[in-house]
Amino acid sequence: MASSHDADTTGITRRKSLAALAGAGALGLAGCAQSSDGGDGSNASDGSDGGSDSLSGSINIAGSSTVFPLMSAVAEDFAADHPDVSIDVSSTGSGGGFSNFFCVGETDFNNASRPIKEEEKQLCEENDVEWIELIAATDALTVVVNPNVDWIDSLTVDELSQIWQEDPARTWDEVRDEFPNEEIERYGAADTSGTYDYFIENIMGEAGHTDDYQATEQDNTIAQGVTGSEYAIGYFGFAYYFQNPDQLKALAIDNGNGPVEPSLETAASGKYQPLSRSLYTYPSMSSLGEEHVAEFARYFVSQTTNEDLVAGDVGYVPATEETQESQMQKLEDAIEETQG
Amino acid sequence: MATDTPSEAGFGEVSRVRGIVFEYLSLGASVAGLLALGILLVYVAVDAFDLANASPEWLLTYFLTLVVPYLGFCLYSVGDPTVTRRAVAALGGGLVAVAGLFVGIETFVSPIPRLNWPVAYLFVVVIPLTAYLTYVGNQGRVGAVGLGLIGRAVGGAAVGLAVGTLFLVFDQFVWFLAYTFGVFPAVALYVYARRSPSSRAATAAPVVGVVGILLAVFARETISTYPSDLLIFLWTIAIPVAVVGERLVTARGGRTAGLLAGGVPLALAVAGGFLAGTVGLPGPDILVVVALVGTAVAVYLQRVIEDGEGLAGLALPVLLVAGPLVGALVVGAWGVPAPDPWLDVGFLTEAPSRNAVEAGLYPAIVGSVIIIAIVAVLSFALGVGTAVFLEEYTAETGLVGTLTRILQINIANLAAIPSVVYGLLGLGLFANLLGLGFGTALTVSLTLSLLILPITIVSAQEAIRSVPDEFRRGSDAMGATRWQTTKNVVLPEAMPGILTGTILALGRAIGETAPLIMVGAATTVFSAPNSLFSKFSAMPMQIYAWADFPQPEFRYGVVAAGVMTLLVVLIGMNGTAILLRNRAERGS
Repeated sequence: MASSHDADTTGITRRKSLAALAGAGALGLAGCAQSSDGGDGSNASDGSDGGSDSLSGSINIAGSSTVFPLMSAVAEDFAADHPDVSIDVSSTGSGGGFSNFFCVGETDFNNASRPIKEEEKQLCEENDVEWIELIAATDALTVVVNPNVDWIDSLTVDELSQIWQEDPARTWDEVRDEFPNEEIERYGAADTSGTYDYFIENIMGEAGHTDDYQATEQDNTIAQGVTGSEYAIGYFGFAYYFQNPDQLKALAIDNGNGPVEPSLETAASGKYQPLSRSLYTYPSMSSLGEEHVAEFARYFVSQTTNEDLVAGDVGYVPATEETQESQMQKLEDAIEETQG
Repeated sequence: MATDTPSEAGFGEVSRVRGIVFEYLSLGASVAGLLALGILLVYVAVDAFDLANASPEWLLTYFLTLVVPYLGFCLYSVGDPTVTRRAVAALGGGLVAVAGLFVGIETFVSPIPRLNWPVAYLFVVVIPLTAYLTYVGNQGRVGAVGLGLIGRAVGGAAVGLAVGTLFLVFDQFVWFLAYTFGVFPAVALYVYARRSPSSRAATAAPVVGVVGILLAVFARETISTYPSDLLIFLWTIAIPVAVVGERLVTARGGRTAGLLAGGVPLALAVAGGFLAGTVGLPGPDILVVVALVGTAVAVYLQRVIEDGEGLAGLALPVLLVAGPLVGALVVGAWGVPAPDPWLDVGFLTEAPSRNAVEAGLYPAIVGSVIIIAIVAVLSFALGVGTAVFLEEYTAETGLVGTLTRILQINIANLAAIPSVVYGLLGLGLFANLLGLGFGTALTVSLTLSLLILPITIVSAQEAIRSVPDEFRRGSDAMGATRWQTTKNVVLPEAMPGILTGTILALGRAIGETAPLIMVGAATTVFSAPNSLFSKFSAMPMQIYAWADFPQPEFRYGVVAAGVMTLLVVLIGMNGTAILLRNRAERGS
């Protein structure tokens, strides 16, 4: 009895569910169909605000941690305007980006806080990766000390070199007599970083970079170290100091013409020498052949003069109109060449 | 007593000093560890929810509208005057003690940064007390019903969202075809075979399933028109869930109840999905979530009503929804300044941004969920497979035994290798050699699976080894084959232990950053990934990047919100796994 009752129940439910299925099927036939090329139906509404936008594809960007905030700010705006273009930005260090990703053809752009090196050019050539160099902005490499110290306001290039060269000064009074007889604590960029390369080239030259320091890609770590000790010194890109001016004390640098403090103005006017430097991004030629990459590169160059974004949000010096024009010309020539 | 002198009677007496010292040392060790972790989490929570700026009035309002009613509910469920008296005493005494201590430290020692005494009271007294009362309340029938209901609703929603997330990456059309041609006919055949015992239908079911799924993969290439996503999810997820709910309830409470329990949530889900679609919300996702939540709740409701005990517990959801609403009304009416939490809906649904206020974690959350889903499946299958083979099938003596032992030692050593090394392995093997791409979901998941594989293998082995040999011998004695013994005796017994090991290992995988950096996972992506081969970011990557942003709002607000999100996802995952484990334990 019980079993026949069960069977009865299931029979009816199956019939009911079949009816429900038939209903659903009818609805499907009634016009709720979609084509598989249309992509994800739930996202279809996103396309509406793109208007005539037909760009789609992916853009892979890696490289310098110094350029990372600028590049991701530009990418954010571009992604908002072009929802079908997916952009990813990685912070790998200039050298790490060139050797691990860009020159083996894995990324479309590589950011760098110094020009591409000879051995990187070679690696790119071996893998048939062609590229052009675009100037992104100007940075003022900033040397910082603890905000509580009053015995130091500026350093000459030579003194800076004594602190950071391969065989460095051990205590502060070895650098300048009036400085205290305390050991120097150093916090600086790791050797995969373009900041490291730039610092060596323009301050120490042949004398090389000391190994006796805390090396990191994270500006935050440098700042933490310097705020932790009155006898610490560190260097990094301008952006961190620009956003946290009270947390650290930036030293003025004396290049023979009196001490100059790092700021957007001194870097733009070229007075802050030798530590104001250009930041770069390197698009690969084959990627520029794709329309969405080319469009992104154009957008990037056009944004390099945007003061709100480059100076206000990120803390670098925007490019001048002339630089932008010449960069745009270079880019257009390259795009012309690849797209024919 | 505490002396080393032997007594006259011949029984030696031993000093208890060492034992007591040891006891307090271990107590100290555990307190120190937990306290440090606790303080860290408190600060992260304070930053994430901006509690430092929460005014005392705001905290008081929500304390009265949400916390007090909830505690009252728990106490009602316990129904023991002593517990009530103790709870009230703890609330009152804790208030005096914390406020006094806090003010004392601030005046005499040093100011405590970014905390005030109401927030300290919240973390030191209210939250632990709430947790404790939730636990004891859950022992009572009323509390168990209320919390069970909440648990099913939250669990259903979480599963629904996870399913929706997976379909961002996996092709829903393939799934539709596979379900229609493979899964559905196979299940139908299986059910038919169970009804009218004809062995041929039962054996045909898996064959039909596999053939159907293969057919689906090929058909995907040629078929280009499909039902809308809403209909696909209705047909492949909502209706099966409703049918299962209906079956469960019909078996217990009869046909009408069954139809109600299956039909009402389904109707609600369909209506919700269509309506949401018309106002621009993601209809298919809402359909799945409503169907899962509705069915789980309906099945549970029917059981509770049938039992007829602790019906008052069903009021708990009302309490938890009404409380914040009333709180918001009061706060709005009085104009009490509310804190502006970093961890809000926008944070969970928006893309990363250079502005701390607009920054969101959505693409990274999706990335992490998908990665962890693949890692869970892969490492469970590979880990359990290896463990079963090593424990049940290899010989213990002779040459094979020696080889097995060498293999064992190597696996145990692999567990101690730094994760960066696995990252390099993944980079070389999956990204370069197999060409799965730099930083794609597949590369990342495979690398992370390798990383946690040794842990899953070793813990699964331990679990299998702990199954008493008598069980196996008993099964052998009844003429079972080794496969039958493994399937019916060993694995069910070992499952809770295996699951525990897998949960711990997955927890490690979701938080890893170093191997992701090595295989080239992106630091920041701006849209959710849409295939297994698109570039991924994961939560730890994005949090790591934010921690280095120059703006202090990122370091003290957005990072904390990211950490909280990661923790919640982790706890949700572990909670699910622990529930599964408990069920497995009860089953065996």
